[in-house]
Amino acid sequence: MYRMKFDKTESIIKKYKVSNQNRYLITAGYCMYLIVFGLLVDSPQNILNGIYKIILQPDTLITDYIGVGGMGAAFVNSGLLTLIFVWMLYHFKIYFSGATMASLFLILGFSFFGKNLFNVWFIVVGVYLYAKVQKDKFLKYIYVALFGTAMAPIVTEMFFYTHFSIYGRIVIGSIVGVSIGFILPPLSAYMMKVHQGFDLYNIGFTAGMIGTIFVSVFKSYGFEPHMQFIWTTGNNKILSVFLFFMFSSMICIGFYFNDKSFKRVKDIMKYEGRLITDFILLEGFAPTLINMGINGLLSTIYILLVGGDLNGPTIGGILTVSGFGAFGKHSKNIIPIWIGVYIGALTKMWSINDASILLAALFGTSLAPIAGEFGWKYGVLAGFIHSSVVLNVGILHGGLNLYNNGFAAGIVAAVLLPVIQAFRQEGMIDHETH
Amino acid sequence: MKHTKQRISKIVDEMLNYFFLIGATDIEVHLKDEEEFYKIFLKSNYTKGQENRIEELIRYLEAPKQEEMEEYYWELAGACDMDTELTLIGMMIDKGEVNFTQDKIELTLYKKK
Repeated sequence: MYRMKFDKTESIIKKYKVSNQNRYLITAGYCMYLIVFGLLVDSPQNILNGIYKIILQPDTLITDYIGVGGMGAAFVNSGLLTLIFVWMLYHFKIYFSGATMASLFLILGFSFFGKNLFNVWFIVVGVYLYAKVQKDKFLKYIYVALFGTAMAPIVTEMFFYTHFSIYGRIVIGSIVGVSIGFILPPLSAYMMKVHQGFDLYNIGFTAGMIGTIFVSVFKSYGFEPHMQFIWTTGNNKILSVFLFFMFSSMICIGFYFNDKSFKRVKDIMKYEGRLITDFILLEGFAPTLINMGINGLLSTIYILLVGGDLNGPTIGGILTVSGFGAFGKHSKNIIPIWIGVYIGALTKMWSINDASILLAALFGTSLAPIAGEFGWKYGVLAGFIHSSVVLNVGILHGGLNLYNNGFAAGIVAAVLLPVIQAFRQEGMIDHETH
Repeated sequence: MKHTKQRISKIVDEMLNYFFLIGATDIEVHLKDEEEFYKIFLKSNYTKGQENRIEELIRYLEAPKQEEMEEYYWELAGACDMDTELTLIGMMIDKGEVNFTQDKIELTLYKKK
């Protein structure tokens, strides 16, 4: 007879090699890296002016903050905003897990094209109010608040681009932003059932649904979101140096904390990646950091290889793939998605380095668990279908859901899963217990 | 906490999925609604050669309690019959006990109200 008891006390957290505090410190360090880089490439005055422009500019897809406020402002906006969220999570004593890393890197990435120091807070307040109404702790909904900032552009749109008086815009903008945050917690949990955790950007799927309803109502009153396309080019050299240094440093830091080895990194590749696959919890912080670095390097190389532009949106995608290197993504389950998108570009009416297709490849890795669970062929199929679907769903929410790919991926997963399952042999595949 | 009872039934669902995975043909479930917590007792047989999976079950159930993860992801428990969500169960429960012999496993999970 073997007997094992476990009690969830803080001692369980303390036994990990890289402490909770150090995990926060390392992540904060990367936010500082962005801020310092921003300060090096632009003057403080230009950065302040740039941040001001970023706040005022409509944020509908695709709005490259490097094109709006300049490179310095875009980097400082991203680093500073994420740093505030790092502090918030640390303040609430949240256990630093794969979800923490993924949610923070998602903000880090999307603060290059849609999230800024002004527009995210209304969603957060909405989630906070939901917690208060439910007489619950806000920290229980903290991930919904962080992931939910996907709808931040709707706040900017209401505040600055409606025909109401200034007071009317403040009231309407606040109400819309807060009400979206308020309905996100129950909806985001519910939507999980639709794709069974095979769409890693679940909030993208949820926000797509909410955005569709909100924009439909707005359109009924004659309000149309501003469609725009701001996409910078010509910065590949400086930005690839920035990215290569960042991701190489992740591998080096991970290597150092991993007893100066790459052990357990290979084990990460064995997971299929379906929600919840928390690599930090399962394999440790150090190997996870190495995996994040590898994901980031591969994503950067992919963009350069296909002749794409490194700019705000693509950096956003690269940072997201890297961040989810702690929460489901690894080279084995993301590459099939890229192959699918690539095959799509060969046969369909667009080019592999078109803006939307670059983003479809990077963010399409939301479907990586399909490749992980069912094999690379299904991953290729998912990527192939996704690249078409994502180009057609943006119109539904008027580009106001930043996680448009998460929305498309949710639809693809919801349709593909029952079909794949119907033709598979009966029985459970066990990947988690490999 | 909303949907408390549904969450408990999802934990049971997930554990049933797991027992089927390790070859169970005889499963008992005993659920008790105590004043301060729910006590879930599960007993099952399993096929030979699954001991490593039981050790991994223990590892996953040891995951730190994370209310913030539970609140967002609890609907995934027991939702998929192709894969397990044992780390999620670990995040949802407050304490537990696993006893196993050569062909039987007993699991007691506690979740505070």
